[in-house]
Amino acid sequence: MGGRRTLTILRSRPFLTLAIVAAVWIAASFVSRGFGAYGHLRYLVELAAVIGLVAAGQTFVVIAGGIDLSVAAIVTVSAVSLPLLSWQADPTGLTAVLAVLALTTTIGLVNGLGVALLRVHPMIMTLAMATFLQGLLIIIAGGSAVTAENPLVRWLGNARPAGIPAGVLLWVAVSVIVLAAMHATSFGARLFAIGANPLAATLSGVPVASTTLAVYAISGFTSGLAGVLVLGMNGQGYVGIGDPYLLASIAAVVLGGTSILGGLGTYAGTIPGAILLVTITALITVVNASPGWRSILFGSLILGLLLLSGREQARR
Amino acid sequence: MSTVASSRQAGALYWPVQLRRNVGVRGLFAVVMAFLVAYGFLFPGLLTASGFAKFTQSWFPLALVAMAQAILMLTGGISLAIGAMVSLGAVIAATTMTGPLGVAGGAAAVALTGIGIGGATGFIVVKLRLPAIVVTLAGSFIIGGAALLILPRPGGAIPEWLSDLLAGNTPAAFVLLVLIVLLWKLYLATPLGLSLYAAGENPVGAYRSGVPVDGARVAAYAISGLLCTGAGLFVAAQTGSGDPVIGTAFTLNSIAAAVLGGIGFLGGQGTMRGALAGSLLLSLMISVMFFLGFTPVAQYVAQGLIIIGAVAIPQFRKVQQ
Repeated sequence: MGGRRTLTILRSRPFLTLAIVAAVWIAASFVSRGFGAYGHLRYLVELAAVIGLVAAGQTFVVIAGGIDLSVAAIVTVSAVSLPLLSWQADPTGLTAVLAVLALTTTIGLVNGLGVALLRVHPMIMTLAMATFLQGLLIIIAGGSAVTAENPLVRWLGNARPAGIPAGVLLWVAVSVIVLAAMHATSFGARLFAIGANPLAATLSGVPVASTTLAVYAISGFTSGLAGVLVLGMNGQGYVGIGDPYLLASIAAVVLGGTSILGGLGTYAGTIPGAILLVTITALITVVNASPGWRSILFGSLILGLLLLSGREQARR
Repeated sequence: MSTVASSRQAGALYWPVQLRRNVGVRGLFAVVMAFLVAYGFLFPGLLTASGFAKFTQSWFPLALVAMAQAILMLTGGISLAIGAMVSLGAVIAATTMTGPLGVAGGAAAVALTGIGIGGATGFIVVKLRLPAIVVTLAGSFIIGGAALLILPRPGGAIPEWLSDLLAGNTPAAFVLLVLIVLLWKLYLATPLGLSLYAAGENPVGAYRSGVPVDGARVAAYAISGLLCTGAGLFVAAQTGSGDPVIGTAFTLNSIAAAVLGGIGFLGGQGTMRGALAGSLLLSLMISVMFFLGFTPVAQYVAQGLIIIGAVAIPQFRKVQQ
């Protein structure tokens, strides 16, 4: 019994992705000196934390059968609007962070309203939202970068309690909550039901509309959180700061074994997926190629990894 | 005898069937007409030869990418690499046409690249069974990287006579568009074209009925690639040079145009005339907002709202009924 369980874990997609990460890390540390150093690996995980946070919301949305193409714009909204909010009365900066998170959650909620009540296709709803936000951001911030003076944000981006970056600690905390919500609550069960077969879920009495709303709101929240973290690590927010995280979040979800068609997957796969993505990017930087080759390598590696493990069933 | 009778009967049925296919997009046609009239008032030059030429030229690349996206969506696919393909077509045109290959060789290179990459994408999606959205997202990086390799920064050149022919004071763009639409009608009459809707609407049922589902889908990707690089060639002729990132905006706009035109995401739903009307509407909206003095920022905001509205309002009516 125990043996079979171990075998199931060994064969699962999350474990496979984790094994690929480990293999790449070991191989890379032999080839490139300094790659396997503790400081460098810690830096990689710190970078992966941002992708991991964005991909947390994306995992919820994808499992529920949707997709969120507005995550990049929401990360930017968060990173750009936070420096503009500062209250003298609050020396910790917590109120500003909470206000921004409330804002991004509301944006996600609006996405959910469009998908659940107006029945707009998720891809259109979130793409249109991204276009809308892009315009709004230029009005708010213009073209210039804004510096964050918020103490809490700075702590999050730079502090290392017990040698572990605060961002990574945040990611661990979010991961625990996400995994618990996904696999140990009735909300999580409804999530998979909606993604697998929305009609059957409706007929079985699953509150599809409110669950869909919640899913997109969560995506807005985690993207907002990622924006706060990336602002802290960067020191400055500017329009376009969130752009790399759209492809990264979707790729992390799919590399982690979650089906893009919905109804199947786990955040436990997305976590190594995010680390794998950052590792690939770091390796490509080590190769020291031109931007064109770097882009080709990145795309080809993702495609190759998908061929290894992301295939759908044959039609019969 | 009987074949003559049945073909005459089919001929008599042709127009009623075509009219019935207009039902879903009639409202859209009305909105497009209203926008055309508004545009004519704001810009009276539309009715002159050069005004018409300029207008169709600004519409032409968007029409091509809307068709490229619509073909894929009809077969149940999608492409997020449209913009990168347009850029690649533009840089290949700008680097080959003034070189030893000449204009004909350059155009052939652009066409072959489009068909080749499109076909390869189709092969990966259909035969290797990977989700289209992820393949084309990764593909957009590979294709965009190739465009950067060919032309790291804006440059290259298009022969002046070609720019004048395609983007000067001639209705060449409109003539080309009419030709492409006629070719599309012809394609729909071929076995692969006939399979297109069946493969999108019900792939399993079509497969079991002996329809070449995989062939129809791979062919759709190849045609889509050809349309995209063709749009790139035209954009290069418009600007007189190549730019490795010039196509970026076309990815979103192609999806928006197809969806405005009533093409469904699930495959088999919608018509090419709808997608063309959708692209015309989008192109008109951008022009009208420009003439009304909207800043680019306000255009973004308005575009986002209009797209959601256009998709949501028909759904609303359906719910109320």
